[in-house]
Amino acid sequence: MKIASLRRWLLLAMSLGVLPYLTACATKPTDPDDLQAYNEANDPFEPANRVFFKFNNGLDNVVLRPLAEGYRAVAPKTLVRDPIHRFLLNLDSPIILGNDILQGKPKRAAATFWRFLVNSTAGIGGLFDVAAYAGVKYHDADFGETLAVWGAPAGPFLELPVYGPSNPRDGIGIGVDVAMDPITWIHNGHGVNAMRWSRYGITAIDEYERAMDELDVINKTSLDPYATIRSLYRQNRESTIAALKAGDDPNQPQ
Amino acid sequence: MPSFASRFAAIPLLPRRGLLAFAALTLLLGAPALAAVAPDQAATLVTTTGNQLVGLINGGADSATRRQALQAIVDGNVDVDGVARFCLGRFWRSATPQQQQDYLAVFHATLMRNLTANLGDYQGVTFKVGQVMPRDDGSVSVETVLTRPNNEPNNVDWIVSDQTGSPKITDLVVEGTSMRLTTRSEYASYMQNNGNDLDALIAALKAKANG
Repeated sequence: MKIASLRRWLLLAMSLGVLPYLTACATKPTDPDDLQAYNEANDPFEPANRVFFKFNNGLDNVVLRPLAEGYRAVAPKTLVRDPIHRFLLNLDSPIILGNDILQGKPKRAAATFWRFLVNSTAGIGGLFDVAAYAGVKYHDADFGETLAVWGAPAGPFLELPVYGPSNPRDGIGIGVDVAMDPITWIHNGHGVNAMRWSRYGITAIDEYERAMDELDVINKTSLDPYATIRSLYRQNRESTIAALKAGDDPNQPQ
Repeated sequence: MPSFASRFAAIPLLPRRGLLAFAALTLLLGAPALAAVAPDQAATLVTTTGNQLVGLINGGADSATRRQALQAIVDGNVDVDGVARFCLGRFWRSATPQQQQDYLAVFHATLMRNLTANLGDYQGVTFKVGQVMPRDDGSVSVETVLTRPNNEPNNVDWIVSDQTGSPKITDLVVEGTSMRLTTRSEYASYMQNNGNDLDALIAALKAKANG
């Protein structure tokens, strides 16, 4: 490979966030106890993951935290923040419905479909969760879960740049979920593009505001927030997927 | 999967005549008592502990009295030493008696500090006991739903085990995440990044508990 094209490739790899994975792999320990701990963590890219974890934290603190704090200060919870949160969840309905169907969960799919109809109309575009009052509660679904239900293993832990904790299976899931979203495929000039990016931005602020207090507790109490979040992410996904594999319960929240 | 739980998961794979020898072996290894916790005993423990906590959180006592009351609830209903040993994993066995003593002391202090720091967030909390399910290792999982004003309800499973001879709480599983497993991987990661130095872990925990 010529130097110039190598440099271009390196720049591309760096901009895609791939480079740290190539250069920094954890070395497998030889001591049997250390090896067991290494296998339990299932994190061969730990050095690279920690780089991104630091980067993501820095980004959160500089960008999302001030916005989320401002949002919290300006917008009252029950009157503004909760309705906006419900509105954003309602926008996700097509993705959730698609995954409910792909997972082979007719009851969950029916719940999502019905919620979308009722909340988009009687709930004024999803601002109010009328369906929940009628006993049909919100649940989430994504393509990472769908792959798991189909039998795909999670693979090692990955801290994705900007996005956060994940793994190869859930990373692929994110891409498919974006592709599954009808809003992704509306191409109608700058207005739609601006709306699409506003939605991503507002969703990020909404999610960060809701998680901020718990993140503060983890950062204050944990000796190693990276390890704590890695463990929480993995356990949460595993328990969600185990419940999904066990049945078709519309009241299961994830 | 915690190492001692997987020991029980292996039981069905053993030939029957090997079972007695295996039972003797698990006793030697200090496995949890074979007598399981009775489900209603576990549910009662969780209900009384929960009621005590709710009374404490929503009561108007000053912080010193609250702390003392919380300490009494924790000491009476939670197997703190057992949880502490679990969280340290393999490093418990290789620790000196002095290190074990220091670690247990700082673990108790850490638990108390984390509990008191978050107590205020639960003002107005109510809870409802749901399904009670025996688990493979003889412990019992008691499902509860915690409801705080203006918040989504939270699912919290309380794990009750009788390794100490009487039923005690040994874990909280919040939305599918086990507190003691999370803490164990936190400590394991700290040890791995600090040359497996237990004294460093104890010092770091002390700094957090006092900071």
